[in-house]
Amino acid sequence: MLKYTIKRLLQSFITVLIVVTIVFLLLRMLPTDYYFTEEQLMKLTREQLDDQLRAAGLLDPPLVQLGRYYRQLARLDLGTSRRIQNSVPVTQVIGSKIYISMRLGWISLAIAVVAGVAYGVVQAMNKGGFWDHVGTAYTVFVRAVPALVSYSLILILGSRMLNLPSMYSTRDVVRSSILPVVCLSLSSVAGYMVWTRRYMVDELNKDYIRLAKLKGMSTRSVLYKHVLKNAFVPLAQYLPQSVLLVTGGSLLVERFFSVPGLGSLLTDSILRYDLNLVQALVMMYTAMGVVGLFLGDVLMVALDPRILLTEKEGTR
Amino acid sequence: MKKFSRAMAIILSLLLVVGGLTACGPKETDGGKVAGEITDWVTYQTIASEMETFNFQYSQNAKELDVLNNCFDGLTTNDPYGNLIPCIAERWETPDGGKTWTFYLRKGVPWVDYQGNKKGEVVAEDFLWGLEWVLNFAKNDAINTSMPNQLIKGAKEYYEYTKQLGEEAKNLDLTKFKEMVGIEAPDDYTLKFECIDKYPYFQTVTVYNCLYPISGEFLKEVGVDGYRAITYDKLWYNGPYTITHFVPGNEKVLTKNPLYWDKSAKLFNTVTIKMVESTDNAFQMFQNGELHAITLTEANLQTIYRDPNHKYHKNLVEARPSKYSYQIHMNFDKRLPDGKPDTNWNTAIANAAFRKSLYYGVDWTDYLRRVNAINPLKTTNLCFTSFNLVTTSDGRDYTDLVMDRIGMRPSLEKYVRYDAEKAAQLKQQAMEELTAKGVTFPVEIDYYIAGSNQTALDSATVMKNVLEGCLGTDYIKFNIKTYVSSFAQEVRNPQLQSFSISGWGADFGDPINFLGQIIIDDDNAYYATTTTNANNITDPEFKAVFKEFTRLVLEANAITDDLDKRYEAFADAEAYALENALTIPLYYNIPWQLTHMNAYSAIYCAYGGHAARYVNRETSTELYTTEQYEEFARAYEAGKGGK
Repeated sequence: MLKYTIKRLLQSFITVLIVVTIVFLLLRMLPTDYYFTEEQLMKLTREQLDDQLRAAGLLDPPLVQLGRYYRQLARLDLGTSRRIQNSVPVTQVIGSKIYISMRLGWISLAIAVVAGVAYGVVQAMNKGGFWDHVGTAYTVFVRAVPALVSYSLILILGSRMLNLPSMYSTRDVVRSSILPVVCLSLSSVAGYMVWTRRYMVDELNKDYIRLAKLKGMSTRSVLYKHVLKNAFVPLAQYLPQSVLLVTGGSLLVERFFSVPGLGSLLTDSILRYDLNLVQALVMMYTAMGVVGLFLGDVLMVALDPRILLTEKEGTR
Repeated sequence: MKKFSRAMAIILSLLLVVGGLTACGPKETDGGKVAGEITDWVTYQTIASEMETFNFQYSQNAKELDVLNNCFDGLTTNDPYGNLIPCIAERWETPDGGKTWTFYLRKGVPWVDYQGNKKGEVVAEDFLWGLEWVLNFAKNDAINTSMPNQLIKGAKEYYEYTKQLGEEAKNLDLTKFKEMVGIEAPDDYTLKFECIDKYPYFQTVTVYNCLYPISGEFLKEVGVDGYRAITYDKLWYNGPYTITHFVPGNEKVLTKNPLYWDKSAKLFNTVTIKMVESTDNAFQMFQNGELHAITLTEANLQTIYRDPNHKYHKNLVEARPSKYSYQIHMNFDKRLPDGKPDTNWNTAIANAAFRKSLYYGVDWTDYLRRVNAINPLKTTNLCFTSFNLVTTSDGRDYTDLVMDRIGMRPSLEKYVRYDAEKAAQLKQQAMEELTAKGVTFPVEIDYYIAGSNQTALDSATVMKNVLEGCLGTDYIKFNIKTYVSSFAQEVRNPQLQSFSISGWGADFGDPINFLGQIIIDDDNAYYATTTTNANNITDPEFKAVFKEFTRLVLEANAITDDLDKRYEAFADAEAYALENALTIPLYYNIPWQLTHMNAYSAIYCAYGGHAARYVNRETSTELYTTEQYEEFARAYEAGKGGK
């Protein structure tokens, strides 16, 4: 296991480095005028624009810039933001937003897992029955209706009928978080419902369940000790990744409710050509992705010891 | 088990359907329904307009300046009629007609921290620190240097000096700056500027942030890197408000500066600016009473306007025009995507009859409807220079002088510049002259819009219909083309557009700030060097027209001892440009809104950024009505006599 862990971590590190390098070089292939605002292009002379680019090292050959960037990374220095928050270290820019996305994301994920799995169990137990149809209708509705339409409905209902704030506010966190959390949970609840129902139905039809019932085990005991546990294993694989990825925020929900989280930071920083911030975010998201996959594998092993992550000797 | 799963199903179904029902609570915001005067104003901006810096000297965009102009006072400010009035400077004088200027500062203007605690007092040397910061390349990256470099003696040389020094320039104090630059503080309350030449409008430049103070003590406290990356809670303020809460992409709160020097100024207790995803979201918030004003989208405006029973129907009010004057700027050296000259267009646009046919031959009313769906002709703009920029000694607006010369006045009855008969003659003349020169008809007009912008596409489609409808598809063919993200990078730099529409807002109070942008042989002429490419004109006849226009502008600019004569001369030059269709004025932006604020009570000026200051604004707890606003407009016009 240790050998496997070290190998995976090393692979993850190399993956992150490759992605960051590719993004770094791609950004350097863009024309340098993107570095400036339209106002700066309007008011600065060409000479002044070049002076700025030179001072920022952006006129050096890309490989020279890359070498400098690696040295910077080795010092754990990710640089400062240029456009999102001028001259502020990117770690500070990301740090000020990450906890907001994390809080909303984790709450909505918890709701999604609990409600989705629980209702998935109910659906599986009532397969073809009324509650199963209700769950299916909900899933179809959530998946079929464009997200912005659902969000608009929730916004109107929530703000007009329930007097909830229309946008997130750091001065009224609890009340203003309700609508974004509901929107964030909406689709993932459906996801967990569908998968739980599917795996549960699969498990319920297996021979060992019939045997357990014949041996006199109670339905509740069969359900929780065997069926749910086995059905949860495939879901668990993606859980760590989900936990990490929701930390990155949701572009759509955060934009819609003006949540000052990480959701739109990457697109904003790309649009504003905030190079250091783009690079830092790409690195962060890549790391989250690969670490999430790794933790998912580990969690699966923890839940089902029959699963082996390393090859047995003599196997292929 | 069955009972258990059924109960659980009921609970979960209810949770899924009405997930938010448990979260009822009292409504926090009161909108316009609170009794009494509005003391805490709540407004909005779209998230794309979030500010990027709190460093005032580094700010160049409206998104920062609109906020920071509320936090800092400079030497002067404006009143609701655009007059320049004292601020930190109690008075000023120029003994030599504009070459040297002395400003006498008021005593006891405090610097405060964001919580309103006194940190120091504004002294004349703070203005030196401010200008040194702007001119020091290592500190401010050349931002906001254009005006001081053009106007103040030694400014450009000091900028070059700091650029040569590189990073070392960050350590400079005021010693070298005082030696090189024409600014001095003989005592704490006197500030002197020495200009490169006579600039009779220099005092109006002082509303621009390049000439604002920074406390020397504050700079010592935070250091150069500290001020570059300054945050709202570390700043020292000297204006009417401090920023007490800021969450990027969410909201910011400006709070009344308790030690503000001008005790007569009427200020809000707080101004909250909420950052919203779109104007549609803002409208939703306005309806919920979470905002005090909303600018209406065309769809919302039409919905309210067409329904006499709509609850907001009687509250529709027209905003006042912004300071921007929108023009059609033609490209006189257009290129094809392969970089070769677009000879057909370049030859056509160099022809006087062709340009004038575009100038006189288009009834823009339908296009103006895109700007103001209800009163399109009210947005008509016939001049390059914005109205309300300067007035003559007898109170006449400069644009009146220009309109006298071109013989036109805006009308609410018809689009006045459109002259079908004249246009037909010009079209025939252009076709004959240009066919002889090998131009093929229809002449293709390439007009670029952002590919993802549906509103721009709708407007461009209307423009196509208007142009082709008025001038004929045998004469022109209007092509709507798209760019991905940057007009400057993808279209303007490779010179692909036939023409573009652009709004210019003045930085200071003089017509040179407009006309100087379209003259030739001047590196500071923004439109000529970046958009119209007028310096590349090869047609000798057309080049002569531009040379004559440039001569008229420079001649007017040389008149510094008599402002009336100066403005008359500028008006001659501008009229010459318009009659030769060197630029085509199009519109002023006048949207519709629902508001609790009387815009006629606010600072209103065609230059600088003080119109954004939340000072002396009259509000009502009830939404203003159309009639009330019309009355405000009448009272405002009547009060102009005092200007």
